[in-house]
Amino acid sequence: MADKNIKLSVQNLSVSFRTTQGFVRAVRDVSFDLYQGETLAVVGESGSGKSVTSRAIMGILEKNSVTDSGKIIYEDQDILKIREEDFHKLRGNKIGMIFQDPLSSLNPIMRIGKQITEGMIVNGKHLKNRKKELSHAQRQTYLNLIDNKAKDVADFKAKKKELKALKETEELALLQSKHSEKLAQYAPAIKEARAAYKAAKSNAKKQVAKEWAEEKAKYAQKISAVKANMSSASPDQKKELKHQVEELQEQLRRYKKVTQREARERAVEVMAEVGIPEPEKRLRQYPFQFSGGMRQRIVIAIALTANPDLLICDEPTTALDVTIQAQILELIKRLKEERDLTVIFITHDLGVVANMADRVAVMYAGKVVEIGRSEEVFYNPKHPYTWALLSSMPDLSSTSRLSSIPGTPPNMLFPPKGDAFADRNQYAMKIDFEEQPPYFKVSDTHYAATWLLHENAPKVTMPQIIQDRIDAMKERTKARIDQQDTESGVT
Amino acid sequence: MAATQETPILSVRNLRQHFKSGFGKNKMVVRAVDDVSFDIYKGEVFGLVGESGCGKTTTGRSVIKLYEPTDGEVYFMGERISAGVQSIKDQIKLERKQAAAKIKELSQQKSAASDSEKSVIDEKIQAIELERDAIIKDLKMDIPKRKADTTKNNKELMKRMQMIFQDPIASLNPRMTVKEIIAEGLRIAGEKSDKVIIERVNSVLETVGLLPEHASRYPHEFSGGQRQRIGIARALVVNPEFIIADEPISALDVSIQAQVINLLNDLRQEFGITIMFIAHDLSVVKYFSDRIGVMYYGKLVELADKDELFKNPLHPYTKSLLSAVPLPDPQYEKGRKRIKYDPSIHDYSQHLPELHEIKPGHFIYANDAEVEQYKKEIK
Repeated sequence: MADKNIKLSVQNLSVSFRTTQGFVRAVRDVSFDLYQGETLAVVGESGSGKSVTSRAIMGILEKNSVTDSGKIIYEDQDILKIREEDFHKLRGNKIGMIFQDPLSSLNPIMRIGKQITEGMIVNGKHLKNRKKELSHAQRQTYLNLIDNKAKDVADFKAKKKELKALKETEELALLQSKHSEKLAQYAPAIKEARAAYKAAKSNAKKQVAKEWAEEKAKYAQKISAVKANMSSASPDQKKELKHQVEELQEQLRRYKKVTQREARERAVEVMAEVGIPEPEKRLRQYPFQFSGGMRQRIVIAIALTANPDLLICDEPTTALDVTIQAQILELIKRLKEERDLTVIFITHDLGVVANMADRVAVMYAGKVVEIGRSEEVFYNPKHPYTWALLSSMPDLSSTSRLSSIPGTPPNMLFPPKGDAFADRNQYAMKIDFEEQPPYFKVSDTHYAATWLLHENAPKVTMPQIIQDRIDAMKERTKARIDQQDTESGVT
Repeated sequence: MAATQETPILSVRNLRQHFKSGFGKNKMVVRAVDDVSFDIYKGEVFGLVGESGCGKTTTGRSVIKLYEPTDGEVYFMGERISAGVQSIKDQIKLERKQAAAKIKELSQQKSAASDSEKSVIDEKIQAIELERDAIIKDLKMDIPKRKADTTKNNKELMKRMQMIFQDPIASLNPRMTVKEIIAEGLRIAGEKSDKVIIERVNSVLETVGLLPEHASRYPHEFSGGQRQRIGIARALVVNPEFIIADEPISALDVSIQAQVINLLNDLRQEFGITIMFIAHDLSVVKYFSDRIGVMYYGKLVELADKDELFKNPLHPYTKSLLSAVPLPDPQYEKGRKRIKYDPSIHDYSQHLPELHEIKPGHFIYANDAEVEQYKKEIK
């Protein structure tokens, strides 16, 4: 794994929500790296912060959320810091997302075709985009200056308040003078930057207009060349030529923007790719005319139209039943192969995780408690919460009593001081209630946050039920490999 | 299973539940449950699985008389609790049609016949009409009987059958306290003494692992698992012998699901309650049930003991369903191959399929040719 490039890196992310009762700490100090081309599954029960993490990556957190700390590094920039307009370039285009409930994420009174093409048409004003692109650097410096100024003013005000409280008049005066000096420096700089930005904008406008005029002239020539042949042509040829003219006109329009026709062609392509039969006919239908699995395919198609290279799937199969779930999982796997996608897969079904994931992150109460390659987490789990998750679901061979997790998850208005799982953990030690465990390294790729891995901790083995199950799994794997060997030996 | 020798606690015979919508050319009949028959024996857990929309929930709701069945009969503890009349109506229609066809034939002969023959034919026609009316009268006699069985409010009997619903948030009234929710069933059953009610509520709360203090709270104060416990307590308070559990765990969190399954298991062992367990999670159904019925588009396609079903699945749909279950085992998942089910492989144009017992206790929905094939497969 070490040789792979890091696609996305979440570092010490903390997100809380402002509510009438106080701050709900939904995500607490979450860090993980996502490597190019892998599938990372995030598992945990509802309220463990897995959806909030993914929404933070997409930049679609609710208005009452506060990002307390942390960074999300994507393509060498912290996407928590960049401006909303700049985020438009990433969201959808680079990072796509599939939501949980396909019925509520589609508009019920809009035809499917329009919903798929909408994004392409809105983002597809090529000339406008080109203008923005040309003046981007000047705009950036100008806005940065304004931001810096605002920051300085805020700093100054805070300091002033502090000094006033301490009644240090002398220092206050000094600070005031320093500040006004700084402001004076800003004024011409901002003015200059604004002028530069304006100049760049008008230049961009001129250049784009020029380019557009050139293109138009080029096509006008071509069209007139075709039209010249028209007078001497037979009726059949005339039809053909007329068609050619229309084609050329369409091409010219496509230079300007994504046309309806282009968007529709692309939508049909993508719909066929995600396995919707008769896409041309289906484009004209409404969401209620589709079954659950088909609806989820449409949601996936919408995410794919912009060619993202990172796909976040937020419980895409929870609302579906087993057979349809299997189909959707196969589809996501196939798309991942074909398009070389990197996938974050959020779910609470461990069976689905085993099917999809290269690596698994187990989340509990806003923290990643265990992370590792899927074989490591499934065959050698270390955190008691992972044990509890694995042992609480029956598999096809279990007959003994299930070991349920007592109690309920902690209230994140008052996050526990120590290990959040301590209250429900039969192996909890005194230190679990007092201090949060750090990550202990199990192997190069496998980390778990539990005090049980500390060298001074009493030796605890995982519950018998999981041990039995893992043994059974290993036997099953061995049996299959043996069988394969004999089969290949025969042939 | 030793239970198979006993008389069934619930038997469902040719149950049909059709939903009609629209008029004229827009008229549509949805056959949610179509000709389903099964028995449930005392003390067992009968699992019903299938994909969403296959009619498993409708079956449960028809059995407990939340719907009036279109056709078929449901017997609970030996008594018929509901019966549909569609088959009688169909029969009457058929009788009329046949008689009409005969009369038409005769009247065609009549037009070609001489006068003397004509009177003979007239007599014949009259005889047919009389016969037809007699048959129809007999058939019609049965309709009010069946309707009476369906609408008859046998409280004592119906009290012994209770239901646990899927969504614990939607199925509990948010404006009622837990005590009121649980006691409602008791009051309807005729209990008037407050003292008895409180006693019963407290004891049933303890049975499901809640505290008597919880009785005065409202549903929103509880977590998902606790809410489902309240739903179970509400069903238990009238001492039922048969519970229909309609996906009781699919709306719950993973860590909570095990609590509810364990609770249902305890109840079954302690009180010997018979459970009809409707779910779509096959690993849970396998763990919890004794016998499993697989439904597909309103039909029961396979019914067998759970070990038998998982070891020897015969119907292609069952095979495809079993192959789609993901297990928490990455190595196994890498090698798992999903079998696709294509309903068009069945050729039912010649012989119509019905439920055959292919092995003692193992039923399958197939026609004669397929039965032969499955029999070969099983050997």
